[in-house]
Amino acid sequence: MAKNSILNKIYNSGPLILLYYLCISEMDTNLEKTFEIFTLNFQIILIYFWVLKRPDLMANGHIFIAGLINDVVMGFPLGISSLSYLIIIFVGTYVRNKSVNTTIASDWFTFLMAMIFSNLLFFSLLNNFSDISFSYQKIGYNMFFTLFMFPIFWLLFNVYQLTFIGNRDA
Amino acid sequence: MSVSRDDFSIAFRSALLKRGGAQKFSVLSLIFLALIIFFLDVYGVKFTKPVRAFINDVVYRVTFLASTPTRFVPQLGKDFTSYINVRKENENLKIELEKYKLLELNVEFLADENKNLQKILETEYFNKNLSNILLAKVLVDKNSPFLKSIIINKGTRAGVLKGMPITKDNYLVGRVVETNYLSSRILLLNDLNSRIPVTLDQGAQAILSGSGSNKPILEYLPEDYEILENINVFASGKDGIFASGTPVGKTNDKGEVELFVDPNQLSFVTVNLNTIKKEDF
Repeated sequence: MAKNSILNKIYNSGPLILLYYLCISEMDTNLEKTFEIFTLNFQIILIYFWVLKRPDLMANGHIFIAGLINDVVMGFPLGISSLSYLIIIFVGTYVRNKSVNTTIASDWFTFLMAMIFSNLLFFSLLNNFSDISFSYQKIGYNMFFTLFMFPIFWLLFNVYQLTFIGNRDA
Repeated sequence: MSVSRDDFSIAFRSALLKRGGAQKFSVLSLIFLALIIFFLDVYGVKFTKPVRAFINDVVYRVTFLASTPTRFVPQLGKDFTSYINVRKENENLKIELEKYKLLELNVEFLADENKNLQKILETEYFNKNLSNILLAKVLVDKNSPFLKSIIINKGTRAGVLKGMPITKDNYLVGRVVETNYLSSRILLLNDLNSRIPVTLDQGAQAILSGSGSNKPILEYLPEDYEILENINVFASGKDGIFASGTPVGKTNDKGEVELFVDPNQLSFVTVNLNTIKKEDF
């Protein structure tokens, strides 16, 4: 029984551990070296899915700290990734409050909204308050591939949820 | 109508202010906190600089440790392959060693001749003080679509200052853009924010601008200048930071510059401590 409870805790912490690991490690989800235009913002997919499905597994404070770590590793001004992640949480929570049943299509569409708001804030702040230049073409590719890959990760996370965590979703 | 407006405002307020259960903080309070941290960092209030430097040092070390498994697995594959090929490699190396022994004499003669000629020209000999060349290990090389930078394990404690040029095997790699006590961030030549003055084989001057891809481009070339393939590009040294004549890369048929050092394959780099004595930007 005790062993099961420890295992459950580990499974439940899986998404949060993955988020922290993605933010702090060298591991990235950009395949620029092999396929030049492929870049993906995996963190926002991860946050959006779990905030929508199981917000109890993704505490706001942890996401905020993961954002700060991401800023340090990537060299962005502190707090900018946290802000962008918090916008994702906000949209996710709002959608969760407003909807009863969600499908992959509705989640995909609302994810697009969340990503637009989040990236708009992120790049507006970066453009106006830092010296970092960025290519709009790369932002476009990044958003496109993040959106494109969302259903794939949605299915994978759903499988993880059903297999290891159990469906206690509303 | 009013019911749907009420629904909207309830859901909106709940999303911003809701706490309880796993959520110890509301989204709104964290947004305010993130904004405060952001503006403190951007406007560089006096106490934030050392705090940020300390956080950077700690996080970079943790990142290095956390990335060990991701670095270990590909390395294991490489090690296994090289173990299998070790005999053949040994034979090849012996042949190469003999070749280099013969070349060494020539190199010594040419180096002396070069030194003498530089003395005649009264120019600074680039490698005259090797104690000012600092070897640094790459701690973090996170591939980002927006920023092309690496973190090295030498900081202000070792004398690294902002703006110092970074080389690998005497080829230019980038420059220092952020210094902490134990680590520094290097902006690579292919980053969108990188601009350095260069000179081409035929004497033309230009600015090498990072394009975000692996191949930077040449800007501000003389009018009607046609870029040919396989032209060597060197740092011109006009900015007073990069030593003039440091090789950078070669032009290709598209007019881009193929760097001599692959920015994705850096594990050790050298910092040239000679160039800058004081951080003034």
